[in-house]
Amino acid sequence: MANEVKKTRKKNVASAKEQQSSTGVPESAIAAVDTPYATEGNGRSNLPGTDRATLMERRKYPRISTTPPAPDAPPKFADYEPIVGTAELNEIRYIAKGLRGKTVKMVNSTAVGGGVAEMLNRLIPLLNEMEVHTKWEVITGGNDFFEVTKGFHNALHGGEYNLTQEIRDIFNSYNEQNRQRMTFDEDVVVIHDPQPAGLIKSRQEHQKWIWRCHIDLSNPHPGVWDFLRPMVEQYDASIFSSPSFTRQLANPQYLFYPCIDPLSEKNKPLDEKYVAKVCDDFGIDRTRPIITQISRFDRLKDPVGVVQAYKLARKYVDCQLVLAGGGASDDPEGAIVLQEVLEAVAGDPDVIILNLPPWSALEINAIQHASDIVIQKSLREGFGLTVTEALWKSKPVIAGAVGGIPTQVVHKLTGVLVQSVEGCAYQIRYLLTHPDFARQLGKQGREHVRENFLMTTNLKRWLLLYQLMLGVAKKERAA
Amino acid sequence: MATPHSNQAHSTVAKKPFAFNSASHLLRIGTERASNLSELLEALRVCPDASIFQHMFQTLAEHHYIREGFSNDFAHWAFFSCNETGLAERLSGVDVREFTSIRALRERVIQVVEAHLANNPQSKDRKALETFYFCSAQTVVIPTPIIAQDLAEFAEGLRKVSLHSIHFHFINARLRTKLNSNDFSVWLQEELGLEVLADRIEEIDIYTSTMEGVRRSIIKLVERELANPSVSPQVRATA
Repeated sequence: MANEVKKTRKKNVASAKEQQSSTGVPESAIAAVDTPYATEGNGRSNLPGTDRATLMERRKYPRISTTPPAPDAPPKFADYEPIVGTAELNEIRYIAKGLRGKTVKMVNSTAVGGGVAEMLNRLIPLLNEMEVHTKWEVITGGNDFFEVTKGFHNALHGGEYNLTQEIRDIFNSYNEQNRQRMTFDEDVVVIHDPQPAGLIKSRQEHQKWIWRCHIDLSNPHPGVWDFLRPMVEQYDASIFSSPSFTRQLANPQYLFYPCIDPLSEKNKPLDEKYVAKVCDDFGIDRTRPIITQISRFDRLKDPVGVVQAYKLARKYVDCQLVLAGGGASDDPEGAIVLQEVLEAVAGDPDVIILNLPPWSALEINAIQHASDIVIQKSLREGFGLTVTEALWKSKPVIAGAVGGIPTQVVHKLTGVLVQSVEGCAYQIRYLLTHPDFARQLGKQGREHVRENFLMTTNLKRWLLLYQLMLGVAKKERAA
Repeated sequence: MATPHSNQAHSTVAKKPFAFNSASHLLRIGTERASNLSELLEALRVCPDASIFQHMFQTLAEHHYIREGFSNDFAHWAFFSCNETGLAERLSGVDVREFTSIRALRERVIQVVEAHLANNPQSKDRKALETFYFCSAQTVVIPTPIIAQDLAEFAEGLRKVSLHSIHFHFINARLRTKLNSNDFSVWLQEELGLEVLADRIEEIDIYTSTMEGVRRSIIKLVERELANPSVSPQVRATA
């Protein structure tokens, strides 16, 4: 076995030298052909009794759960103490104390599915536990309304759109219907995204209305933006997920990074046995390095580029590639992209492709947990919460420098940023052969998330904003 | 080498106890942005004070777990987005602890960028890889229930408070007090007469340590002082 590794290594060195001019990989990279994981083992294992033949069989027929598990009860505020510390929780409690008895209403367009609903499901119980009485309401509308808002969503991301008077009327009339149906007596009203933006007509003098925009407005369709802008500018403040997502507006704009819940199924600590079981179910060999990208089968996530990078890296280091995501069953384009990925894989048995159902949060958590490197080689991206999830699990992350990713991945400090397939391949090799550096990135990445992108930080931001807007806060001015 | 005077200082109950505070910050997105160094210079001249505070001071709190790399957002951007290593190094060399006002700090940063562009005019309009967006911090002061009346309680308080509190008292303090020192050193000197300890704490290098490392260093110095009291120059003179 050891001789086989050595032979393969010699072959890899020769192959690397041949490839040098075409890939542009620097000389120093060619020398780094040691693979500590492959030669020394990583101390981890699959469940006892799972042999290689079983794993190879499972790769062909992964055991994917077909029924959604019962959801966890939302955590209590005190449950976060082991994660962020007593002092941090006490500071949040202090900020909340000044707001005790204040009332807030949050409005969005969906109660289930999507990142906004997921976040509100966690945030609102915590606000209520802090005695900041928060109600959550969802607007209603017919198919025609949601077709319009889906069109708006794409147009605000820069897509082509034909904004007719009929479309304006549909948008306005459903907003008006919802406005008549709902009451707005709270101290603060928070409207999420463009769909319910027209509810601002109900604003009363004593209230503060906030527009929370979760989408990237850097390059909107001018007509759609011109239609929405007068509504948006009536709000007392707006919130964006990245400075680059904003427009110049008349009202103050705040920066709230999206966040992950460290106690959710996707991020909570897992039992090692469960991780081993999930790896067994999917045929992932835990004794060898695991490289993973979690994403939909979408060209903008560049799964084919990831396969190409893996193949380049594989000439020098032993590893498996796991591509796990959804969208290939219910999205025709997803199915086409999956086919392209399979063509790029060309039967390589060490590439494991998992088309997972939407209820696979625990399984995704386990795969991330088992990985040695997590890749997010997106060509375009929103904030990129899969990156946040990987950083939180102390994984070295290789990611494309797009969207909100550079905010999370500070190059060579909390992960590495790449611009190309070749760069990605080089970083896979480098991180697998320099485990101390990889560990340091992982450690710093986790701290970066703890400081900036956790649910507790998000809760604190909301409370601070309410304090500032309602005039409760004692502000300190920069000298 | 304890003296009766310094031992006395350790058991002294401060007339004015040290009240640990903390601060939380909300980020406001500014209107200024820069996609090359000329635009950066222009924005530096007109941006609000709170933006200079955010990108020079507050970034240390947001990245408190990192001890290498560039120490402020302007330096980081100059290196990673503009590929201007020399400018990045000089901006990184601007030590916020030498400044007691944002006005003076802003002037220094502007001087560094101006000098670089005067020597490298070709760099002025070269497009950066990423745009720099100016943000500003809106700070809310948060009192904690932790109070120290003597050195032992002070050490205990340091162990309990959040890193935001350490940042608030150790780094941001000079903007508030207008002194070239930090809240901890000022209190130790004024209330307990521990000038040597105060000086040693002030000498801790914030740029080569994490904020947790800074906390550990302060606690270590205080514990050492409790175990082996130093002789302050004042005490030495009167002994």
